Amino acid sequence: MSSEQTFESAQRELEQIVQRLESGETALDEAIALWERGEELYRFCLGKLDSAQGKIEQLASRVEAAKP
Amino acid sequence: MGPGPAHGILGKVKIEPIERGDRKVYSVAAFNRGVRDWVARLPTVWIEGEITELRRHANWQSVFFTLKDPADGACLGVSMPRGQFDGLRLELADGDRVHAYGRPELYAARGEFRLRALSLERFGLGDHLAALERLKSKLAAEGLFAAERKRALPIWPRMIGLVTGNDAAAKRDVLTGIQTRFPPAHVVVAETYVQGPRAAGAVVDALRRLCELPGLDVVVVARGGGSFEDLLPFSDERLVRAIASSPVPVVSAVGHEQDSPLCDLAADVRASTPTAAARLVVPDLGELHERLDRARYGLDRGARRSLESKLARLTQAHERLRRAPALLVERRRATLEQAAGRLRTLSPRATLNRGYAIVRADDEIVRSGVALESGELIDVEVADGRFGARVE
Repeated sequence: MSSEQTFESAQRELEQIVQRLESGETALDEAIALWERGEELYRFCLGKLDSAQGKIEQLASRVEAAKP
Repeated sequence: MGPGPAHGILGKVKIEPIERGDRKVYSVAAFNRGVRDWVARLPTVWIEGEITELRRHANWQSVFFTLKDPADGACLGVSMPRGQFDGLRLELADGDRVHAYGRPELYAARGEFRLRALSLERFGLGDHLAALERLKSKLAAEGLFAAERKRALPIWPRMIGLVTGNDAAAKRDVLTGIQTRFPPAHVVVAETYVQGPRAAGAVVDALRRLCELPGLDVVVVARGGGSFEDLLPFSDERLVRAIASSPVPVVSAVGHEQDSPLCDLAADVRASTPTAAARLVVPDLGELHERLDRARYGLDRGARRSLESKLARLTQAHERLRRAPALLVERRRATLEQAAGRLRTLSPRATLNRGYAIVRADDEIVRSGVALESGELIDVEVADGRFGARVE
């Protein structure tokens, strides 16, 4: 996955892939390739969300600790 | 009484020096009388001042009082025939303003200069109000009270100047208010006269001294309630101008809500009470903390919420992605089955069911009897199976 990919663009691409697959118009081989790409995009997005979540928790605990 | 200009050297009392060697010397009495005669030639005038130290005794011929200049405190002793004074029924008290009509006089027995009053008029509130109105119009015309001159108060004052009386409740109210709301505030108090003839000048001085302090952000001028006359110094032109030209914003908290000394109009912000001035001049630290906490909580919640919605959307997309290939294969399979079904209908099996048979020789379908030889083995396929046969 390119380093310029953002969460939003990855999510957009993932949803387009899902739509294409669901339309049933795709050739089987292409469908498999799309599916693999979709899974890759999903893992990328999930990773982004996980790290955001981690940052929020970290900040929240730091704020808690700083309370007088 | 007093000797007129007609007296003097030609009068009944001779004012002549005594010879002491080669020096001419006047006796005290002669000197006093001489000056008295001189002074007595001055014209009769009206003088405006504030009554103080009024002394009146039933067995005195005259009443005595001091007229004080409200602007700078200059004093003038006054005597007035008691009968005349009583006849006016003025009911005067210390601090009342009057116009006295009289002639300058030197009391020769004591060498005391004073005014011999012939008449006295109370200089009323109405006159004060008129004078005040004139000053107000003049300063307003100069633009001293204009809204565009008003400066905003600093949000976080580092140093606050407070001009107030030395033991005034106003001082306590402002200090308490500031320290309760904003404990780290640094207040510099300039105590001064807030009443009487010296007040206006003293407040101007105090203001100037405060404004010389480096780092001063705002000044509060505070004085509790008082009579109209008590508050007059705060309408003094010098004081009003000093407030208008202050280098830092000024909050005026003078008198009660209904009072409107001119300093209120010149100040950047007017506070109805000293406590209100404290509220204006510093933020409430406790409230700030609460707001900050609320904002932080909202921020935290907002971040989590946005994360949750993104995760939900992602999970949904993934769910669909996960199912899609299986679905696709399933659909393809179904299409295949359908085709197979149609293929099956088109197969010869249905014909066999109707009683026909397929004959094969050497795995080739036999379409003509010509090629077959007698005794040759053939394969016959019917609806429910196959059997072998020999050609006859």
